[in-house]
Amino acid sequence: MLINYRNICKSYDGKQILNGVNLFIDTSSDNRDVLLRGPSGVGKTTFLRIIAGLETPDSGSCEVTMGEAARGGSGLRVGMVFQENRLIDELSAVSNVCCISSSISVERARAALRAVLPEDSLDKPVKELSGGMKRRVAIVRAILPASDILIMDEPFTGLDIETRERVIRYIMENKGSRPLLIASHETEGLPKMRELLLN
Amino acid sequence: MKPDKNQYKSIAGKVIIILIWICIWQLLSILIHNKILLAGPVETLEALWRMILTGQYWKALTFSAARIIGGFCAGSAIGICLAWNAYRVKLTEDFLNPLISVLKAIPVASFVIILLIWAGNKMLSFYVSALIVMPVLYLNTLSGLKASDVKLLEMAKVFRMSMWRQVRYIYIPGIRPVLRSAFQAALGMAWKSGVAAEVIGQPLGSVGNGLYQSKIYLETADLFAWTITIIVASFLIERLLLKVIGRGLLLKEKTV
Repeated sequence: MLINYRNICKSYDGKQILNGVNLFIDTSSDNRDVLLRGPSGVGKTTFLRIIAGLETPDSGSCEVTMGEAARGGSGLRVGMVFQENRLIDELSAVSNVCCISSSISVERARAALRAVLPEDSLDKPVKELSGGMKRRVAIVRAILPASDILIMDEPFTGLDIETRERVIRYIMENKGSRPLLIASHETEGLPKMRELLLN
Repeated sequence: MKPDKNQYKSIAGKVIIILIWICIWQLLSILIHNKILLAGPVETLEALWRMILTGQYWKALTFSAARIIGGFCAGSAIGICLAWNAYRVKLTEDFLNPLISVLKAIPVASFVIILLIWAGNKMLSFYVSALIVMPVLYLNTLSGLKASDVKLLEMAKVFRMSMWRQVRYIYIPGIRPVLRSAFQAALGMAWKSGVAAEVIGQPLGSVGNGLYQSKIYLETADLFAWTITIIVASFLIERLLLKVIGRGLLLKEKTV
């Protein structure tokens, strides 16, 4: 699969946020993972939101080619970690992962969460979990469903170094062949990947 | 769970207050000394007991309760469905706005008379209750839906959550508090308007008809007895329905 974003521009209230951003990803290549870099306020989140189909660029194009077929950017199935956790507070960690889709069984969610969370936290309402634990639930929720691309916006916020390393290991082991697009200020421990600098 | 000491105290306090009011009522009836103007609590209870022992009383209660609860359920269902439609399609909201404003402004008596002409008196309380309840549920549900967590809805969009799952995990928990108070308010209004409709429309064998007969024969004790019946029935049915509705709205995790 080829994902090609060309000359993406976006402005808010007359202020240009993205100006001609290009991104090409060949999912069959070893170079498919991308680290989005740049100072705060440069448009990293906006660009990720455009890829996720939550924003429409003012100009530019997106083409996704799957074998012979080509389709627009909105056709991409996305697994996403938002800047905030966006979990359903009243539900447990397991239910937060399962409620996304009927294809995720309780057993599968539990097994995945066990890799990054202590067993006794899996059935508690997420509102009772710490910020770091919630973050890990959000990461598992992004990884588990079938998707074409994984998008993560500052996924390591609130994680200590040891947990971050564990989470990075979990992500890299479970993402399969899906390209990972990650915006993070905390790059320590991340495997070497292509960088896209926004400024 | 057993009530604790403080709960017992609170219940006892409420009972004492009610007893004081009943004493005031009894004193007033003694002072006025006219059973037509003000029947006392003793006469009222006697009248109630006399009525309870007749089959007619239970028939009337069943007749009215079935229609009023039916109207409440129908009005609620229509209000919620229309609110969902209006939330999804702005044009529906714009289209319904004038109708809802008119329904809110029309006095119950006008409704009753119009519906009496259109539909007769047999099902009058059903239609009136439904028409009174519908705008309440519509407006509250719509405002609850509009206040849904946008961030969670974006999450649902990204993960392509089915509409059913969005309703279950995002919309219903969001509107639950609004809906609960709307149901409570609407149920009280359904009873009041339903009985008022029966008093005007006079369907035979209804609570409203019983009330009217008491008025005609100047049986103030019977009038009070019917009023107590309505209050108690409304209270009990409200408790029961809110429990059922509350259960329906609850997010049961085990069924994920």
